[in-house]
Amino acid sequence: MKQKEPMLFINGWRFLTIGFLIHLWIIGESTNGSFILILLLLIVTSLRWRFALPIWFVLVDVFICFLFTPHTNISYYALALPIFELALKGKWLLSLLIFISLFFAQAASSLLFWFYLQTFFFGVFSFISLKNQVVYRQEADEQRKARYELERMKIDLLEANQSASHQAKLMERNRIASELHDHLGHDLTGASLALQAYEYIQDSREAEKLLQEVKNRLKRSTKNLRDTVHNMTPTTWMGIESLENIAHYFQQLDINLQKSGDMQAVSAHQWGLLEACLKEALTNVARHSNATIVEVDLQVTESIVRLLIQDNGSVEKNSHTGSGLRSLQIRSRSMGGSLSINRKNGFLLVCVIPLEKGG
Amino acid sequence: MTIFRFALKRVFGNTTNLIFLTIFPIACIFLPKGEGWPFLPYGYQYFGILILFIGIRLATIILEDRGKGVVKRLAVAPVSHFQYLSQNLLAYSVILILQCAIVVYGGILFGQELYQPSRLFLLFVSFCFASLAIALAWISFYRRKDTSFLLYMSLIFLIVVLGGLIIPIEIFPDLLKRIAVIFPTYWLAEGLNWIVFGENILDFLLINSVLWLYTIVCIIIGSTRKIY
Repeated sequence: MKQKEPMLFINGWRFLTIGFLIHLWIIGESTNGSFILILLLLIVTSLRWRFALPIWFVLVDVFICFLFTPHTNISYYALALPIFELALKGKWLLSLLIFISLFFAQAASSLLFWFYLQTFFFGVFSFISLKNQVVYRQEADEQRKARYELERMKIDLLEANQSASHQAKLMERNRIASELHDHLGHDLTGASLALQAYEYIQDSREAEKLLQEVKNRLKRSTKNLRDTVHNMTPTTWMGIESLENIAHYFQQLDINLQKSGDMQAVSAHQWGLLEACLKEALTNVARHSNATIVEVDLQVTESIVRLLIQDNGSVEKNSHTGSGLRSLQIRSRSMGGSLSINRKNGFLLVCVIPLEKGG
Repeated sequence: MTIFRFALKRVFGNTTNLIFLTIFPIACIFLPKGEGWPFLPYGYQYFGILILFIGIRLATIILEDRGKGVVKRLAVAPVSHFQYLSQNLLAYSVILILQCAIVVYGGILFGQELYQPSRLFLLFVSFCFASLAIALAWISFYRRKDTSFLLYMSLIFLIVVLGGLIIPIEIFPDLLKRIAVIFPTYWLAEGLNWIVFGENILDFLLINSVLWLYTIVCIIIGSTRKIY
């Protein structure tokens, strides 16, 4: 609707001019026959309103006016219409040419001059505003296109991130498997073989030696197992621990964290999103709200993980969704989930992500 | 011409419409002659008002189509808006022209003094088209049938009075006499006067051409396709 605005005023001017001509006819002394001039111009004007007529159609206006010049003075005033149309198309010199008719008008040619002049000015103004409109629209289109591209790129990146984390998980499994095979496998197999041999050995001294060997192997593998597990245990917080950690170290607010379900079912990149949600929500609460207590509830079921964050604040200052929350929404959508926000009774954030089957 | 036939059937399928479209014109034939003014019998002076009413009554069918989404469905059908509009209008004008014929030639049979019946018929036909076009332009501004109909009724009353169809224009003040020219009803009244007193055929042509110009203007304005 907004894009039609200049055209609305241009058409408004055209029909107002027809109204002006009718007024002139009523107060004047013209015959009934000259009323046809106004009707003809009304037809041309309504054609212009309905269709985009070519510039040469102005000739029709001029011709109609010219036809009626011997009969009525109104036709001189009606020449304002072609002046306006020419100025509207940027043919300013041609429209000034019609000013020549001033020399032929018998009465009130000075008034007519000012009428023409302001018509000309409005025509030029309309021309410029229509031109500007085209430029603005182009600019807006380009910007919109750029924004869409950015958003698409963002989603692509998030998907790439997800697949990279999946790859990393597989590689890590592989590494654990080979580590267990290399360090534990040999010793345990050796110990098992030695124990089988132990049953058949008659010589007690020989058996004593073998048993000692088995003990040593088991001791070594136990140590190896401990070392491997120790080496593999990450030093950063992960999973639910990281959420607990965030809640624990957030001093300003009283945070009540509850959890239920099997936390192992949630994969690493999903933890990353949940963590980001919690951080963002808590930061927002601390910055914009007067809340004192925040309830955090994490539920993991067989198919979904649901994070609910609710505060007891009452301020509705920041009613639009900020860029942080928006980007979280996009991230959760890229994982096939959703993130919704409600500000009715305090701030409520609910993030639902579907779990991957057979992780 | 499927749309044309359907439009005709639709108009005559409704009993109220049927009565409205046949009884009133026939009643016009039997109205008596006035004393002094109007110069033609009352039925013929007031037939213009009836044409205006019938025009809006028929045109609101198009408005009804718009409201029911028929226009939207037509937009995806292999029927152009032009075909839809032209065949509908053709059907409506056929109905109006038939009524004019009934009124004028029925009047001759009944024995009314009509001076120049065939020219009177021509004048009524011209006015029929103008009335239909004005109604079409009028409904293009509205969404609701009832609102447009009610407002048009008051408009008809206004232009009929100011145009000099009910009250002779001679008793108006000068300014109103000039303003009256804007209304198509003024030209109908002029035409009716010409039928009685007219001599110069050019005057009659002027009157008819003005009515046709009104028709063209209103068709241009009213033929926009509006899809809600």
